[in-house]
Amino acid sequence: MFRTEQNMAQVKASPKTYDVVIVGSGAGGGVAAQVLANAGAKICMLEAGAWFDCTKQSDMFGWPYDAPHRAASTHEKPFGYFDATLLGGWEVPGEPYTNAAGSDWMWWRARMLGGRTNHYGRISLRMGPYDFKPYSRDGKGFDWPITYDDLAPYYDKAEELIGVFGSHEGLENTPDGKFLPAPAPRGYEKVVKAASDKLNIPCIPSRLAILTRSIHGRPACHYCAQCGRSCGVNANFNSPGVHIFPAMKTGNLEVRSNAMAREVLVGPDGMARGVSYVDKTTRKEVSVYGKIVVLAASCCETARIMLNSKSNQFPNGIANSTGLVGRYIMDTVGSAVSGFFPIMQDLPPENEDGVGGMHMYMPWWLYKEQKANKMPFARGYHIEFGGGRHQPGAGVLSGSERLLGGGYGAELKQNLRKIYGAHVGFSGRGEMIPNDDSYCEIDPNTVDQWGIPVLRFHFKWSDDELLQAKHMQETFKEIIETAGGVVTNSHGPEKRWGISNGGQIIHEVGATKMGADPKTSVLNQYCQAWDCKNLFITDAAPFVSNADKNPTLTISALGWRTSEYIADQVKKLNVKV
Amino acid sequence: MADNQEDIREKTGGVSRRNLFQVLGAAVPVAAVLTGRPVYAELGEHHAHLPMAAAARAIPSGPYTRQTFDDQQWRTVSVLCDLIIPADDRSGSATQAKVPEFIDDWIAFRKQQDGNENLQALIFGGLMWLDRESNEKFEKPFADASPDQQKRLLDRVAYPEKAAKEDHAWVRFFNEFRDLTVSGFFSSKMGVADLPYLGNTAVAEWKGCDPKVWAVIEERMKNGYKGVAGPAVKPWSA
Repeated sequence: MFRTEQNMAQVKASPKTYDVVIVGSGAGGGVAAQVLANAGAKICMLEAGAWFDCTKQSDMFGWPYDAPHRAASTHEKPFGYFDATLLGGWEVPGEPYTNAAGSDWMWWRARMLGGRTNHYGRISLRMGPYDFKPYSRDGKGFDWPITYDDLAPYYDKAEELIGVFGSHEGLENTPDGKFLPAPAPRGYEKVVKAASDKLNIPCIPSRLAILTRSIHGRPACHYCAQCGRSCGVNANFNSPGVHIFPAMKTGNLEVRSNAMAREVLVGPDGMARGVSYVDKTTRKEVSVYGKIVVLAASCCETARIMLNSKSNQFPNGIANSTGLVGRYIMDTVGSAVSGFFPIMQDLPPENEDGVGGMHMYMPWWLYKEQKANKMPFARGYHIEFGGGRHQPGAGVLSGSERLLGGGYGAELKQNLRKIYGAHVGFSGRGEMIPNDDSYCEIDPNTVDQWGIPVLRFHFKWSDDELLQAKHMQETFKEIIETAGGVVTNSHGPEKRWGISNGGQIIHEVGATKMGADPKTSVLNQYCQAWDCKNLFITDAAPFVSNADKNPTLTISALGWRTSEYIADQVKKLNVKV
Repeated sequence: MADNQEDIREKTGGVSRRNLFQVLGAAVPVAAVLTGRPVYAELGEHHAHLPMAAAARAIPSGPYTRQTFDDQQWRTVSVLCDLIIPADDRSGSATQAKVPEFIDDWIAFRKQQDGNENLQALIFGGLMWLDRESNEKFEKPFADASPDQQKRLLDRVAYPEKAAKEDHAWVRFFNEFRDLTVSGFFSSKMGVADLPYLGNTAVAEWKGCDPKVWAVIEERMKNGYKGVAGPAVKPWSA
């Protein structure tokens, strides 16, 4: 498919030219590398962080009491000592970003092979038919240039490769998938489901990219609940273990780690020629050439690279004739409430670890009310919850005076044992509607330690998101109280109903929206730049909306579809190789 | 201690870390896992970049070096910790679980992370108050007071709802100190075994909530339940 003889001839005449240069090794870069390597393309992948192999570097089975400060979170490790993220977080040393006045965007970066797929929650929800046409449904935001049916076959492929458990429910706008069996619920999950049933809120098995059966030579989960530390046996989805290492076995994929992409190189014909990057180990500028460039650096980093890729042909950054690169960034709406469930005190002890995440969740359920204009906000959210007898670390059983009235001594010790495991926390994860006030641009005054101009963020929630957070607070309290529980932490209007900061939920999408019209979008329906035919994007930057379905599975499916399109175009000679 | 931990898990049907590979072996077709070698072997020249293997990140063992408390504070902290979490027939005391060391380290850690000394000030100030009150009333520092005298002081600050208004700052101190002692104890090896937390282990087959546990919950849903904390649960059908 990729004409290798011609490649050979070129190698003699000029520096090596790859068929494809991919920037980024997370879900989007990984799937592109695998699909294209299997199609015969010679690929060079650039990763800004270090090499990572979870089968060698996982901290699975470590104990907080063996870790510094009981494995508490730090600025360097916001999710605690054992989190898989080697170098990353909302702050990366030497790699700042800035916020415009009034904005408080938080930008998570994971500088490591596989990026965030090493630690993420593995929640794998398909977007539904409504989610692709939100503008048509309520007049807000934009429609995608594709439908659910366009992407469904790629959801199938992605689920079958990465392995997703779940159950077939047939619920509105909550498509079922190619599921492995779902794990049985924990005790507290059955209690919450019983309360949800009373309130007519559907509570169903969750859908996570964790193997409950062995597939593709990867073993089934052993239920230690530590997916966030990365899995020592590859029993959950992570880009290196599932995409990159198998793709390397084809001999078609070369991966360069510690390679921080700076700009896309452009030829006199206005086509992308490759990528210029900083080798972090030597601080030298290196160019790698490719006939096709795929950006999958993560939504905002991809926009940053494009905006920094200025040339005579593209004075405002590559493929940015519309000025839309960086516009319409979105995160997920988050808000949380926690509760104490008296009914779960003093139960016979059992291991409630399970998989690294929830076994049950509540998908959005008020579509009919929304359609009938009975809801005070547009779009919806799903509910995630967790608690029970989790691994004790820093802070375990603190705040006990609010439940036990205080005390000390033998009686306190005995009572603490009884209330351990009786807490459940609820988090809403809701859809944000893209708005004109939320975007990133290059800060003209600030660079990072690699000499690359950094991003400046502008971000604003609208009333739709704030009212959604309010609804979350009210709903979670209702669930807790229905179960006879006590709300232990909640947020009112003075704290804007506990709405998260933009970027805090780490679901940033948008920035290079796809569309049907080159005047109002950066990419066509195949995530190919309208202005530069050999530039493609396979991370979450092409997203047109940010449904309450966590982005990773859609990144995988959309990236797969884009990669197949690339291979097909090469075959048809529509893209020169 | 290590053996104790393994025993508890084995007794309760869990699987200890020692035989993890045995358990996984049944499900893993890739022989590599059994030998501890990576599933994907040929990774090219990038091995050189492997950062921070898990083992290399373990904290150093050996005697603890204090960072926060002086000798007098240390004595008070140790006495106070054991008044909050004493030994009983199920586990040892807070000092046996090295909770004073945990608190000493935690205060230094927060100071470094938060860029302020607020937590240290609250704890130092509360310890000062305990000694001041004890010296005034009993003519000896808190650590040397009799158990009854110590109880009289603690009872003033240990029950937030009942405390006098002028003691509220010390209630706040004691809430914080209680939290530090409690979470320090129950996240220690001794405390984890005490609770008990039965996870962090490989499970060959996940069965979900034990039917025996669910039967207890169902019985409570049916007939109501009153535990040590929170309101009485009314029957769920009501």
